[in-house]
Amino acid sequence: MSPRPQIDHVRRPQILAAAAEVIAERGLAKTRIADVAERAETSSPAVLYWFGTKSKLLTAALHEDERQFDELVAERLESLDSPSAKLRAVFEICAEDANWTLWLELWTRSLHDEPMRDAERQVEGRWRALLTEVIEEGRSMGEFATDSPENAALALGAMIDGLAVQVTIEDPAVTRERMLAICLSSAETLLHADLSARPALKAAS
Amino acid sequence: MEEASAPRSNEPDARERILRAATELIASDGIDEVRIARVANRARASTALVHHYFSTREELLAQALLQSFELAADERFAAGPAAAPSATEGLAIAIEECLPTAGEGEREWVLWVELWLRAAREPELRPVAGRMYESYREWIARVIRRGVESGEFREVDPDEVADLAMALFDGLGVRALIRDPAMSLDSARRMAAERLGAELGVDSASLADTDDSNRS
Repeated sequence: MSPRPQIDHVRRPQILAAAAEVIAERGLAKTRIADVAERAETSSPAVLYWFGTKSKLLTAALHEDERQFDELVAERLESLDSPSAKLRAVFEICAEDANWTLWLELWTRSLHDEPMRDAERQVEGRWRALLTEVIEEGRSMGEFATDSPENAALALGAMIDGLAVQVTIEDPAVTRERMLAICLSSAETLLHADLSARPALKAAS
Repeated sequence: MEEASAPRSNEPDARERILRAATELIASDGIDEVRIARVANRARASTALVHHYFSTREELLAQALLQSFELAADERFAAGPAAAPSATEGLAIAIEECLPTAGEGEREWVLWVELWLRAAREPELRPVAGRMYESYREWIARVIRRGVESGEFREVDPDEVADLAMALFDGLGVRALIRDPAMSLDSARRMAAERLGAELGVDSASLADTDDSNRS
């Protein structure tokens, strides 16, 4: 018999989703456990039972966000066999999904907080591994040319982050369409690839 | 707390001092940790004086971030790349200026990242962040346009390459800033030079000192 029979396991994902929303809206500093509980339609003790502290809640929310992102990527990539199509799909997902608010929270926290830095490295490491894998596959199938898939993944990942920041803060010059166009065009140059860039690359303004 | 609760005519710099103190505290502690009382203390002002100039904490923080970028922009955008003898050298200076180099560069970068977070959370700050990106883009695009016109760079759309350049500086810079083991400042510099060199058809060695042994 669980010591806390009233807290059922179904609550955890709801709490995480609620935490991600509330933290993105208000920032970690102004997020109260009670706000997350209210959004998740549960109690503060239930939130504390699962996560303990706000910092843990943020890292857990990010891991959950990452898990969903990975799931989405895996789903979209499953039906594709060419690495070029896969890379294009990754860019499309990033551009569609570009809300980096939680990442920004994690980056700024990482500057002052060691556990946050570790969490950031874990998530970043897995994301980089995913990009590296697609690039390596492309190289072995002759679709991409690069000396170092790891470095190419680093460069592409950094570019995606930089563009996503501008999309997140709604820089009018960098729309989602423009983000995608720049990703495709730059990756084609970097990897000597043909990503059949669509939509056609043109200036947004 | 030796100051009066209203601005004194012999204290024309109080507002400046307060803004400076705020930016220093944002850089060292993170924006969420900045308290008015600590800003006041550091600026040798009263909290009432801080409130006289800035009605809310949010306004103070926003103004502090803005001012620090405007100062930085004025100093570097005007001097460095525009005065360089060639567009290639101008771009090399831009790469160096835009990455979180040790000291002042790193401090400004911390504020830059805080501004992103602020603008992501607070829609009313977005137009401000947008304006900063606009002058940043214009500055980079000008360097690229110059190189296209002089024939140093291949025929590209300067605005598009400027967007890529900013994305690279931001994305590579933040990784160097948070001490990503895979991204030292040198790697960030090298990658920015390689990526932009490839886009513009110039040797990356002319955009950054990519030989680590030459680095002092």
